[in-house]
Amino acid sequence: MLEKILLLLSLSLSVAEGLCKPGVGEAYKVRFSIKTALGDQAYPWNKNEMFLFRAALAFAMRDFTNGEEFGVSDIHPCNETQRVSFWFVVTRPNTMDLVDKGTVEMAIKKSRNRINGAFLLTDKTLEFDGIYPTLAAPVSPDTPPWLIVFGVVMGAVSVGIIALLVYPLVQRKLKKNMDADDEDSDEETGVKTAENGANDGIYNSTFSDDERFTQM
Amino acid sequence: MEKDGRPIWDSPIQFVLACVSYAVGLGNVWRFPYLCQLHGGGGFLIPYLIMLLLEGLPLFYMELAIGQKMRLGSIGAWTSISPYLGGLGLASVVTSVYLCLYYNVINAWSFWYLFHSFQSVLPWAVCPINSNRTGPTEECEVATPTQYFFYRETLNISSSIEENGGIHTGQALCLVLAWAITYLFIVRGVKSTGKVVYFTATFPYLVLFIYLIRGVTLHGAINGLKYMFTPKMAELANPRAWINAATQIFFSLGLGFGSLIAFASYNQHNNNFQNQAIVVSLINSGTSIFASIVTFAIYGFKATLNYENCLDRMRLLLLNTFDLAEDAISMDSVLEWTEKLNTTYPEQFAKIADKVREGECNLEKELDTAVEGTGLAFIVYSEAIKNMPLPQLWSVLYFFMLLLLGMGSMLGNVTAIITPLRDFKIMSRMSNELFSGLVCVFCLLLGLGFTTTSGNYWFTIFNDYAATFSLLFIVLIEVIAVSYIYGIKRFEKDIEDMLGHRPNWYWKIMWAVTSPLLLIGLFIFYIINYIQGGTPTYQAWNKELGESAVTEYPVFGQVFIVLLLVSSVSCVPLTALYAFCRKRKDRAYENRPSAVSTVSV
Repeated sequence: MLEKILLLLSLSLSVAEGLCKPGVGEAYKVRFSIKTALGDQAYPWNKNEMFLFRAALAFAMRDFTNGEEFGVSDIHPCNETQRVSFWFVVTRPNTMDLVDKGTVEMAIKKSRNRINGAFLLTDKTLEFDGIYPTLAAPVSPDTPPWLIVFGVVMGAVSVGIIALLVYPLVQRKLKKNMDADDEDSDEETGVKTAENGANDGIYNSTFSDDERFTQM
Repeated sequence: MEKDGRPIWDSPIQFVLACVSYAVGLGNVWRFPYLCQLHGGGGFLIPYLIMLLLEGLPLFYMELAIGQKMRLGSIGAWTSISPYLGGLGLASVVTSVYLCLYYNVINAWSFWYLFHSFQSVLPWAVCPINSNRTGPTEECEVATPTQYFFYRETLNISSSIEENGGIHTGQALCLVLAWAITYLFIVRGVKSTGKVVYFTATFPYLVLFIYLIRGVTLHGAINGLKYMFTPKMAELANPRAWINAATQIFFSLGLGFGSLIAFASYNQHNNNFQNQAIVVSLINSGTSIFASIVTFAIYGFKATLNYENCLDRMRLLLLNTFDLAEDAISMDSVLEWTEKLNTTYPEQFAKIADKVREGECNLEKELDTAVEGTGLAFIVYSEAIKNMPLPQLWSVLYFFMLLLLGMGSMLGNVTAIITPLRDFKIMSRMSNELFSGLVCVFCLLLGLGFTTTSGNYWFTIFNDYAATFSLLFIVLIEVIAVSYIYGIKRFEKDIEDMLGHRPNWYWKIMWAVTSPLLLIGLFIFYIINYIQGGTPTYQAWNKELGESAVTEYPVFGQVFIVLLLVSSVSCVPLTALYAFCRKRKDRAYENRPSAVSTVSV
């Protein structure tokens, strides 16, 4: 009995190995760049990590197919290299039928973050050849931030311009009021002093010296 | 106020700072480093300094002298020198109007970039994602994110000057802001300008200094500095180096626009402008050299970064193709591994041979990409900034500096328009504020044309043609007029009257002989270049390829270029003709009553 089981297992293994052929059929290539991602804290790649990978992928398949009981033995890796890259195929639970590429791709896409998280890697450092990561949706605020800064600066400049334009008018008014008070007090004494508000008169340029121009 | 009611600077320092603020502009930052790189690095300083002595200093001195003596804007000043030469002033005003129209658009771009720096991720650092969320937008993928941000998001550029679209609202808003600030600075005339220049003239140096420290401490900056300072003396034999040096000095000092005459006209009669002229010219050249050190440090950083990224890409390519362990190839050993793998696995290598050849990493090539103008300021620099630590701070500092340089020059440009026009009695009836406001609104409305989708191509027309040829013509006539029509002797006496001593022989020889000859030479060279160059061309942005392509101007573009040139240059002969006709009419009127004509013409 035991021997029969052993025979079946070895047979299935060898068949499975036959299933996983790099670059052909339903096989996908995976590439890990652990040292790039983690630097000093990189963990070495060994059989345990491989087991984790198969478990994570089995989880992804279960999650996508909603219940089909994929196990670690349904993920068949092959052609492992020093780069830490290998090919793998997925078979349906308890059979030798390969799951097609499309399903595998969609399962991986759905659980990509979970698989990345299990290995402390990112979309860039755990690459599935041919499966493009779905990028995060861009965050667009209601008011673009540049408009806010623009509003502040524009407001400040407008206030500045209005202040510069209004200030002399206000000054002139104040002076007129002051001179009007002086005028009242002067009229009482009956002495006519300098004309009000004419202390800094407007220069009439018509009477200025035009003879600077070259004589013809 | 002086006794004739003309406003004056509060102190001579304000005048010097105004001239510095005007002369030190964007050209010092983005044109001089380019020329330096083009003409053999440090060696370019030799023709540059020689031209400063032969041409820059004397002409600068002359314009200041005229302004201070005549105490009028360019139109009035030249009419005083000779009634036939009023057209010179008018040509200066027309050229200044053209300059004002397009120069403030650069300030609008600086504002746009400045405001966009207040984000956690600089918008030109990453590509926006396409609608499928599978990757970056197509255009951004073939070009770089910085180019995409400039051409698509800032300019929304069309593919040629013929295609037009609507106004880019963001740009238009920034242009309104730029003109509002310009108005704020000039609304009270010399009183407000005089205060503003304390800031606009000095703050850019602070930023340049900070950038110098930051720049030289960047990784790889030394490569750029070495590249700049290794002089390639062979370039000195190239006449183009000398011509470019002469043109650069000429345009960098801002001669011929009438701004210097306008600024000097607000001086006190005895102001010592001789020393001030020397100081400002030296500061201007010194700033150019200072700015190129900063620029080359940044170039070196950017080139080294690109080179290392290239090496890294090669390394990854090799690792992935040959499935070697990650730490087998390090950055330094990429090249030797390429050789090794080529010999040991030739067929596998052949598959990626194309990619290897395309992505060949060459530091010299990265440094050689000489860029000038808006491309340098807004694309190359922003690319370097995004890679610095704390990029938002550096971005804000940099664009704020560009703004100060640009606004400082705008002060001079707008003053060059307002001062001569205000000298006319009709205009002086309008209040200062209203007149300045009208000028600003007028330039703003016309400038909105540069914010359309094809606006950048019109901008290039103005940038290349509006102020180059006409200025040469104007300054040439100016120096000939002062030396030969007004007379060196009279000019000497005027200067003695103002300064208390006559200009020495160096100045007189330059005015009478060297500068006119140099300018005639430049003038002829420009004409020959224009004729030989064939149809004028421009760089059109191709969004499918993600790069600029050289395209010829259509007929209406060429006609417009000719109009630009003719409209300013023709002011001189037309006004002379007008003055001549008027004189004849007046004399004819004088002669009529007397029966016997004894008046000699």
